[in-house]
Amino acid sequence: MKKTLDLIPLIIFLALILVLFTFLSGREDQLESVLVDKSFPEFSLTSLSDESSFKSKKDISELPALVNVWATWCIACRVEHPFLMKLKENSTIKIYGLNYKDDRIKALDLLERDGNPFEFSIYDFEGRLAIDLGVYGAPETFFIDKEGIVRERHVGVVDEKVWQEKFAQYLDD
Amino acid sequence: MIPEIGHIILITHLVLSFLGGVMPLMAIFTKRDSLVLPIKRLSLFLFTLISLSFLSLVYSFLVDDFSVAYVAQNSNTNLPDYFKLAATWGAHEGSLVLWILAMNAWLISFIFLTPSTDKRFLASVFSISCQVIFAFSLFTLFTSNPFERILPIPPLNGADLNPSLQDIAFTVHPPLLYFGYSGLLIPFAIAVSAMLFDIDTKKWAGYARPWALMSCSFLTLGIALGSWWAYYELGWGGWWFWDPVENAAFVPWLLSVALFHSLITSQNRGVFGKWSLLLSIFAFATSLLGTFLVRSGILTSVHAFALDPERGVFLLGILAFFIIGSLTLYSLKEFKFESNTYELSSKEFGFLLNNLLLVVLAISILFGTLFPLLYEAYTDGKQISVGAPYFEIILFPFALALGLLQGIALYLSWGQSKSFSFLPRVLIESISFFALILLLLFVLFDNLYLSSFATIFLASWIIVGTLQVNNNRNIGYWYFLKKRFAVTFAHVGMAILTLGVGIVTSYSLEKEIILSPKESFEFGDQVVRFESIEDKVGPNFLSKSAIISFENGKNTSEVITEKRTYSPSGQLTTEAGIKAELFKDLYVSMGDNLETEIWSFKVQIKPFIRWIWLGALLIAIGSFFSGVRQIRRT
Repeated sequence: MKKTLDLIPLIIFLALILVLFTFLSGREDQLESVLVDKSFPEFSLTSLSDESSFKSKKDISELPALVNVWATWCIACRVEHPFLMKLKENSTIKIYGLNYKDDRIKALDLLERDGNPFEFSIYDFEGRLAIDLGVYGAPETFFIDKEGIVRERHVGVVDEKVWQEKFAQYLDD
Repeated sequence: MIPEIGHIILITHLVLSFLGGVMPLMAIFTKRDSLVLPIKRLSLFLFTLISLSFLSLVYSFLVDDFSVAYVAQNSNTNLPDYFKLAATWGAHEGSLVLWILAMNAWLISFIFLTPSTDKRFLASVFSISCQVIFAFSLFTLFTSNPFERILPIPPLNGADLNPSLQDIAFTVHPPLLYFGYSGLLIPFAIAVSAMLFDIDTKKWAGYARPWALMSCSFLTLGIALGSWWAYYELGWGGWWFWDPVENAAFVPWLLSVALFHSLITSQNRGVFGKWSLLLSIFAFATSLLGTFLVRSGILTSVHAFALDPERGVFLLGILAFFIIGSLTLYSLKEFKFESNTYELSSKEFGFLLNNLLLVVLAISILFGTLFPLLYEAYTDGKQISVGAPYFEIILFPFALALGLLQGIALYLSWGQSKSFSFLPRVLIESISFFALILLLLFVLFDNLYLSSFATIFLASWIIVGTLQVNNNRNIGYWYFLKKRFAVTFAHVGMAILTLGVGIVTSYSLEKEIILSPKESFEFGDQVVRFESIEDKVGPNFLSKSAIISFENGKNTSEVITEKRTYSPSGQLTTEAGIKAELFKDLYVSMGDNLETEIWSFKVQIKPFIRWIWLGALLIAIGSFFSGVRQIRRT
């Protein structure tokens, strides 16, 4: 009996490692397979700024474009925000926002305060489009080329370095 | 050339740490003297090698060698020299080298300062530490080599250090944290050695205690500096965000506090032997877990390093290897029965409660941090966010219980406390002290908030309980300085921190407002005025810099808040304007430019916020000197 008791810490720790490991390996496939080189999924959701106006795939009209998944509860998105503002000012590429599981009022407040880098933001409270996109978390950014095909996906903050490494190449050709 | 030399030295270090990790233990178990290594010299040699390797990386930064990929990604010719130095540990690869340096620094201190005559024990601690150092060196060289070159055509200039990191507090925050995390290696290695060689609880606990205390001291400073940095640099005026990575540092901190308290009991009374072993293992495990969470890209956070699942697998492997190994050893070992008994009123029981509270709190916070990951993994990507409300609800009862315990803890005696006659006096005095603080708050802010009463009382209770014990025992001045000042500092520090948290949470004022130059508005007891705005040029940034004045009767003070655009990256940062006073901070951060000269601002008054960091500083000083004294005693 006493010996079994001494096994408990080991068992708990093994369970923790197992969970972390499945999570880690689960994520790898997910990150690579979803949607890249496929066309952007169809959707119909309201616009962030106007509850009565519905947006769909054809509203993402100016291509190539970035679709950026963001939310006010996401601290990393705030870190990313200034870079998106800079892109809006200095680059030809258009950015569309996907406001993810967020509070409409808080989100609009944030855009008003810190600036709005998006052409418009889709309001996805239930994460419906996000599921189709295989969104893992916020922030996340998708590059859509002229034909409406998703070419690149980045999980995490986009900054100058990420931009140069992952996205800038698509604008050159 | 220099980076290649640094690279070769790092490889040499890897090989030597492997030998150091294997040979001493083999020598002991095969009883072959030919395998015995000169441990002191070897640890000195390892430390020298890793220092040289680190310095060659620093050198590459200082001379702007952009053919080194890591330098090109994190530095720039315009970056001031001081920040080039700090950029060395500003990202993943370089910070790992610093981490290994820190582990070596702890190891060499332990080897040289521990007066143990038990050669086997020292060799075993050295060996186990070397194994961990080897694992980290391997990880660095194979997945995160900082010396990798961009050849044949190096970039002309680098991408620059993330502007928010170009800051004094930030340059010191990571090294302190790494020293704190890696210091937990020593108690871990000691615990494993104690199990391997059946070392008496009192003895090994005595060896481990100073290192647990000093790790705790570094962790406290590191976390406090991070909090201070976030407060003035991120421009939100918050000082703790329950960000997953903050939690990843908070959990080892809680466990290190639990650990050294448990070690005190083990050292003095020979009890809690198994508990102290487990805590040593888990404190180290959580510090590795924190590293894993930050660097595997599992968490998206302000602190996250580059996303790289391969690194995650490697780190998880390191964590699994050492912790599964030590826990297996634990489960196989036959423990002797601990014969000392203690009553409910004893000091031992006090420490037991302290440990239970700290450990359950640590588990709850760890759970809250990992839960969103688990939830997402098992619900196919559905997300849930565990935020501040959960953690605050959890923290409060534990903090309350710990604080109440802390107030009387120093009066308890080993075995059984004879009398509780101090209680009425401490209670009456802390109520008077509590009333005094309320009076002060009323004078300062014209207001009393019921929500802050609990924490203010708790702080008074701890302060009175801690200081009164010195009177109670008629402790002389010299004796106090020698024996009691460390614990007094640390416990009073905890009270001051509690006071700061309680008051700043209830008394803060905050307002977002749009102002044009010369416009003013009333805010609390202040009149806030947007004086002027001008353009400024810094070494590597351009800025819009606004002067805001605060007027309160005859006192006027001015602060400057800036929006900076850093030239290489084009990144924008907000520099908050802060007027720091003992009892309150006036805090302004600049928002957006709405029309020419019209800007939005966020204005805040933060009472007693300095006390949080002051308290943390006292805790760090107390635990550091307590650790130093313990080394001299063992």
